[in-house]
Amino acid sequence: MESSELARFEAVVLPHLDAAYTLARYLTRNEHDAEDVVQDACLRALKYFEGFRGEEGTSARAWLLAIVRNTAFSSRRRRRPDEGMLEFDEAQHSGAVADAHPEAALLRRAAKESLGRALDRLAPEFREVIVLRELEGLSYKEISDVAGVPVGTVMSRLSRARTRLQQALREEGEG
Amino acid sequence: MTHPSFEAQLDAYLDDELAPADARELEAHLAQCQECARFRNERLELRAAIRAQVPTLEAPAALRERVRAAVGAARGVARAPRRFAVRGVWRPLAVAASLVVVALGSWRLALQRTAGETLAEDILTSHIRSLMPGHLTDVLSSDQHTVKPWFNGRLDYSPPVYDFSGRGYPLLGGRLDYVDGRSVAALVYGRRQHLINVFLWPVARRPAATPASRTHQGYHLLHWATADYTYWVVSDLGLPELGDFAGLLAQADSAAGAPK
Repeated sequence: MESSELARFEAVVLPHLDAAYTLARYLTRNEHDAEDVVQDACLRALKYFEGFRGEEGTSARAWLLAIVRNTAFSSRRRRRPDEGMLEFDEAQHSGAVADAHPEAALLRRAAKESLGRALDRLAPEFREVIVLRELEGLSYKEISDVAGVPVGTVMSRLSRARTRLQQALREEGEG
Repeated sequence: MTHPSFEAQLDAYLDDELAPADARELEAHLAQCQECARFRNERLELRAAIRAQVPTLEAPAALRERVRAAVGAARGVARAPRRFAVRGVWRPLAVAASLVVVALGSWRLALQRTAGETLAEDILTSHIRSLMPGHLTDVLSSDQHTVKPWFNGRLDYSPPVYDFSGRGYPLLGGRLDYVDGRSVAALVYGRRQHLINVFLWPVARRPAATPASRTHQGYHLLHWATADYTYWVVSDLGLPELGDFAGLLAQADSAAGAPK
């Protein structure tokens, strides 16, 4: 690759490294694996990059996130072939926070852990749509490209994922 | 009454992913279906909770370096010379760009920086606090005739309450808040997935002040005063739409005639 092409790669792809890392972190659920996934994904991205010209409708961001997503999913299968979908476990979240009152900071920290944990407990297919939509701000069409499923599936998955997270919030509010 | 596919429709509406005609239809339905309105409010709370509790992350600097090194090595190219160090160029650019945005958002503020500054911070803090789970509303209702009387006996004034669901800004409820050393009414409105807090309290009679806007931490604040009330409106909604909303409020206020 010409060094100018390399420079183009860096200019087009590296600005989305934070987004890539965020997605990888929530998909792998730990920082170390996330870093490996992002690095692998960037190498793959480089391999396909000459074919990527930012054609109409494909943002570099969604393009990179799709690669990160696929890398994370295949490394998960490789590392933990037996791991099925982790189901959201309601019992883990009850009684975390009792009343909404003075110890705001403490409460907030508890709540933070709790919603983050609830997200971690979602099946990866649910987790990814939440992260892609709520954190990365992708459109349904972009999410459908990244996750490789029809827009209708994105829509129903997102809705079901939100309902599950809401259950977690509710548990927390009731204490 | 809601079932999964309808919920997904509602979600798509809140995500601004429905075709305009479908969105209008759904809006009309929301205005009269209690259950769907409740569903919407819960989704807005969830959205706010995710925003507050599940952060976007920054790639560690070491990872950035590793990626650059790996990219260079994989292509058999020596590490790109420093002048290609995009990171070094993009960062300050990004910072500069965001500074421009902040500067644009707050230029009015600079012109009239006063004690109002602390008040604006108060308002913003209240707004953010209201986004925490369970803090949004004390009275949850999209009916202005439920919300308004709720304030009776809780405040020494009776705030005007309007519903703009026909215009896409449904009333979600109200709560008691504490701002500027006094208890005030906070009214909560929605706009798709965005929440709008309206704070208002009576002022000593004086000439109405024209609206001023400022932007803090990605939230926009609008402030104006009528002959009777001082208004603060805060949201993460884009400034043009927030301006529209403020216009509706002001219009409804003047249509209602100056309250005693």
